[in-house]
Amino acid sequence: MSTPRHNQGLSRRSFIARAVAAGVAVPTLPALLSACGASDTTSGSASKIPAPNNPVRWPISKKNPPIKSGQQIQAGTTLRIYNYADYLSPKLIKEFEAAHNVTITLSTFNDEDEALTKIASGDLSFDLYFPSYDSLGKMVQADLLRPLNHDYINNIDNLWPQFKNPWYDEGWEYSVPYTVYTTGIAWRTDMVSEDIAQRQNPYDVFWDPKYASNLAVIDDWHTMMGMVLLRNGIDDINTTKASDISLMRKQMMQMLQVTHPKVTITMYNDLPAGQYGLCQMWSGDVVNAVYYLPKGQSPDVLRYWFPSDGKGMVDNDLMVVLAQGKNPVAAHYFINYMLDSKTAARNFGYIGYQPPQRSINPNEIVADGFVPKNLATATVLPRYFVEGSRLLQLPPQADNEYHQIWQEFKAGG
Amino acid sequence: MADRRHGRLTRSNGRAPRLIWPALALPGTVWLVVLFLAPMYVVVAILFGTVDPILRQPVPIWNPVDWDLGQFRYVLDHIIGPDGFFGPALVRTAVYVLVASALCLLIAYPVAYYTARGAGRHRGLLLALLIAPFWISYMMRMLAWINLLQNDGLVNRALSFGGVFDIHVNWLSGHASTVVLGLVYGYVPYMILPLFAGLDRIPAATLEAARDLGANRFETFRRVTWPLSRPAVVVSLLLTCLPMLGDYFTNDLLSAAPQTSMVGNLINNSVLTPGQTGQAGAFVLLVLLISVVPMILYVRSNRLGDEVRS
Repeated sequence: MSTPRHNQGLSRRSFIARAVAAGVAVPTLPALLSACGASDTTSGSASKIPAPNNPVRWPISKKNPPIKSGQQIQAGTTLRIYNYADYLSPKLIKEFEAAHNVTITLSTFNDEDEALTKIASGDLSFDLYFPSYDSLGKMVQADLLRPLNHDYINNIDNLWPQFKNPWYDEGWEYSVPYTVYTTGIAWRTDMVSEDIAQRQNPYDVFWDPKYASNLAVIDDWHTMMGMVLLRNGIDDINTTKASDISLMRKQMMQMLQVTHPKVTITMYNDLPAGQYGLCQMWSGDVVNAVYYLPKGQSPDVLRYWFPSDGKGMVDNDLMVVLAQGKNPVAAHYFINYMLDSKTAARNFGYIGYQPPQRSINPNEIVADGFVPKNLATATVLPRYFVEGSRLLQLPPQADNEYHQIWQEFKAGG
Repeated sequence: MADRRHGRLTRSNGRAPRLIWPALALPGTVWLVVLFLAPMYVVVAILFGTVDPILRQPVPIWNPVDWDLGQFRYVLDHIIGPDGFFGPALVRTAVYVLVASALCLLIAYPVAYYTARGAGRHRGLLLALLIAPFWISYMMRMLAWINLLQNDGLVNRALSFGGVFDIHVNWLSGHASTVVLGLVYGYVPYMILPLFAGLDRIPAATLEAARDLGANRFETFRRVTWPLSRPAVVVSLLLTCLPMLGDYFTNDLLSAAPQTSMVGNLINNSVLTPGQTGQAGAFVLLVLLISVVPMILYVRSNRLGDEVRS
């Protein structure tokens, strides 16, 4: 899955950064050239696909062993972080630099497909990367990660208990969670007169001609396609059944014809700017959309729906240490720093995405000022991870089929 | 002795040009090989290559004997026919580029003509102003339009005369006209400059001769200026059409709707999608083949021009 969600901040700068990044990527050739270095990843074993009912404990890499315990960060070194734009508080970065006398360079990517392409080239020497869990298996099997040395990461105890032994990485050998989020529907009450949450099936709005050219869906193949499946009551959003896939394709093409959606990841900017009245949206983005509203516009116009029974899309992102990095010790220290309760809370205040910290009580998130009252539904509850649907890595054949439908959708049908 | 010396001089005189011309051509040849032929071969090797089974990254195949035509065939099979979902995007691209180029020409020709012929002492200033858009990146100029075209942006406010009329055009939600106008705005400076250079090169004496022989201003333009400026028109059209063919971010920024996807968007999407990078190579080849046609027209028009001059 590529999850190009996290472009937030307190101004429009991230939107500009994203757009500029898109412009920088204009020549397709460099991307093709960089992809040439990927040929040494063919030696993997048969793909293991982790799932809640199929937990996986990954073997410890022989090629890239964990670092030894008891090491200190070498002063004057550089820690290279590879992340989404504005998905990490710059203030926290500066404080870590000052505390450890290191330099942090932050490089950004637009989506995970792009990030994986560049990481697989092996030339970039990034130390720390922020993927979502469904690409973890591929990265482990391609030997792109360095196993974690738990001695450096004692703040793991601050997390929700289920993340101390997640099904996608039992024993958290390679990853720690960074944020949790849901995917739902956001709208503006001044542009959409009805209460979408009251609909029998709120997902139907994306096929309602009343909202033609007034809506957007997330430019992430699996997230958008999963929503089509959920609309039809198919909770298995990783289905490989031919009839489900065929239904999904049919309805996506219908959506194109009926409502002409925008397909984008800049909802956090576009919705506050009034470019459309409703959209599929990540919970963290809608929290941050408040800061993008024009001056004088009340934040009260924003609403977010996620199924109250938790049967929607719920996911989490990770922090992992890349094998290609030159500074794995600093990477371990940084991970521990980000898992510190106070640091995580401050980071939440900047990026809008909730960390799964025990110290942050989901029932008091509104009272604590992290989320405005009208967006209380954007709070991520631990039970969602039991009740909700997770986007999983797909078997190659299904992955190919999903991607082909997405390609057809993006080409305009 | 004298004959021998004379002979040596003759030989050296004859050899010098033979060395000079290849030497002069060397930088261009190196540029062509390093920055065009070699990358093009990489594109082809990826197009006809395979995919890594884990990360689904492209694995190029360098030996043509082992090339796999699957990706190329997939693209061709999906251009026309019941599964031809690439076809509309290709047709759309052609229409957008043709309309945008025609509009560019309509705007650029009079501007270039005035600058070359009628600007007088303000010519330098005007030229500087024409070059000014190049100082700002294309991306920034497009981002400015996003602000202008937003629902409560300046364009809607101007159209509604400050709120007198109720006009709320949603310019940024997938309108073909917005994408075409974005292309026109973005590429018109690239057309003005070569047109200016071409019009400026037309000798004033030719125009004076036409006037002396009784042609009025319109006839002078029709029978002298326009025919002599045609090569510049072709060059300027090429300079704008070719980058427009590969453009994807104008559409991404001003529309982002699949209904306005162009071939550049197909390329971009394929490059960034694991397992589909080879298809991007197929689209690149198609665009290249399509671009060769106007190039041939240009070379032909130049050759005809040379024949007319000689």
